[in-house]
Amino acid sequence: MIRPSLRSTLGCYAIILPGIVLLLTFIYLPVVWAFSKSLQEFEVGGPARFVGLANYREYLTLDPTCWPSVLNMLMLTMFAVCVRLTVPLIVAKLIHSLPRERWRHFYRVMFLAPIVVPGVAVQLIWQGMIYADNGMLNSLLSAVGLSGWARGWLSDPHTALAAVMMVGFPFVGGFEVLIYYAGLSAIPDSVNEAALLEGCTGVSKFFRIDIPLILSQLKLILLLTVIGGMQGFEGLFILTRGGPGFKTTVPGLWMYFNAFSFQRMGYACAIGVLLFLAIFALTLLNLKYFKSAEDVKGES
Amino acid sequence: MGRWRLLAIHVTLLTVASLTMLPLAFMVNNVFRSNREFYRSFFSIPDAFKGLARVAGAAAVGDSNEPVQVEDEQGQSRQMAPGEAAGVYFRQIKRGPAMAWAVLRPYLINSLIVSILTALGVSVLGSSAGYILSRYRFLGSRAALVMFLATMMFPGVLTLVPSFLLVKNLGLLNTYWAMILPYVAGGQVFATFVFHSFFKGLPEELFESARMDGAGHLGLYWNIVLPLSRPVFSVVIIMNILGTWNNFLWPFITNTDGSHHVISSGLFALATSQHAQNFSTMFAAYAISSVPLLILFVYATRPFIRGMTSGAFKA
Repeated sequence: MIRPSLRSTLGCYAIILPGIVLLLTFIYLPVVWAFSKSLQEFEVGGPARFVGLANYREYLTLDPTCWPSVLNMLMLTMFAVCVRLTVPLIVAKLIHSLPRERWRHFYRVMFLAPIVVPGVAVQLIWQGMIYADNGMLNSLLSAVGLSGWARGWLSDPHTALAAVMMVGFPFVGGFEVLIYYAGLSAIPDSVNEAALLEGCTGVSKFFRIDIPLILSQLKLILLLTVIGGMQGFEGLFILTRGGPGFKTTVPGLWMYFNAFSFQRMGYACAIGVLLFLAIFALTLLNLKYFKSAEDVKGES
Repeated sequence: MGRWRLLAIHVTLLTVASLTMLPLAFMVNNVFRSNREFYRSFFSIPDAFKGLARVAGAAAVGDSNEPVQVEDEQGQSRQMAPGEAAGVYFRQIKRGPAMAWAVLRPYLINSLIVSILTALGVSVLGSSAGYILSRYRFLGSRAALVMFLATMMFPGVLTLVPSFLLVKNLGLLNTYWAMILPYVAGGQVFATFVFHSFFKGLPEELFESARMDGAGHLGLYWNIVLPLSRPVFSVVIIMNILGTWNNFLWPFITNTDGSHHVISSGLFALATSQHAQNFSTMFAAYAISSVPLLILFVYATRPFIRGMTSGAFKA
């Protein structure tokens, strides 16, 4: 860090100015608007009326979708957390335990490769191929004589939420594998050798050595998954549009419909603010109580 | 490690990998199948391929003028000469991709324009801000850094609706700028963060000696920052392109008249249009939409994996 001369300081300001202007316009202004407009009731282009906290009160007490959709969101998020903290980790550990670098590289590339398909296409393939009336699931069921179980998985109120959860099976995200793999690779050889000398191998090493040492990666994935699960609704919008009924509606999706289908912009902003507050609180909790290896070391 | 355990690991990994790839296999398979085949079974070798193999087989054994039975899309079969039959089969194979390409081409071009300009803006702004904020201390430099990093607190769901109102008020709906400007504004934050932590780790002497030689900001950026941070650039650019390419909701919302659809919003529009009746068109569209990223993937996997595994990604 140096203190530049005056002329050079002006240069510094000039260089960071465009980025700051974009930041203020396209991020900070919408953030301020989100709060201010959540206190109003208006349509796009129409006159705005100040209503105080009425939007918040209406959502939390009168809106019939509120608590069912929060429950859906929590179930989807918890399911996502469970699978993303386990499946890619196990896969990364298996890849990492292979002796040859060639194979390790091969598998990492294999699991990363599906990211080339746009997310929208993946959702549409699941919708039209796996869950469709004559899709894979129903065909397989009738092939083994269980045609009574066949159904429109995404339109049946009993199965819609579970069907949405299972999209992406077997849940091996290439990014997560890479991140866990990086954590496993960063474990010093001395630790691995000491574990070997102590006779700590296999499953017991995985739980006693590996997991404690990649806590910071686990924490990152946990944080990203929780944030993504609380605010994500694109997949639901494509797969079910929140239906049948409100069986797969989440608050984010309801916000979208209020803004862009029902033209209730203020109400939508209020839902967005509530979601933000919930995400913010969870993030703080996560950072405070789930300590990573570095933090623990720093304190001792 | 014992041989059996090694084998077990390979079998497990290959099984999981094939399950992961299964939807993609369906996608490619259905590009070449008609609706009738699709309704008959969810997976089969395309009839057109089988037919071509039959024609080729007949030609190989010598009776190349024997007429062949060809079944058309409606299921009616008739006799025709092998050459003609091959033409019919080729047309069947080509039909889905050709129709999908005709619809998707403008979307693809829009996607390329938006993602390239966004990646360019993000990497230029992110690297220069990261460089300035990591090497210089001046009035407001701390505040600027905090301003950048604090935006990570605000999830997209908070700003989605107000951002739409903003873009509408600015008169940017149905333009490329409705996508590029917000994407750059948001994307530069992550880029600045990554570049900032990378430059912080570089020794000050490097910059000092160049400054002694009379290099200004531009000279330092061009001669030191750019060459040293190539791996960081590749990770930032790839992550950014992936994000832009996959973002479906924002382009869908800001293209009220559908004139500036990008690949992902275009696919969704396609799935709700009359083209959705033709499965081979739809699946060909999914496949075509994956090709640009596949090309990027082939060229950029190694630096990307290296960058991702460098240990920068943890909380």
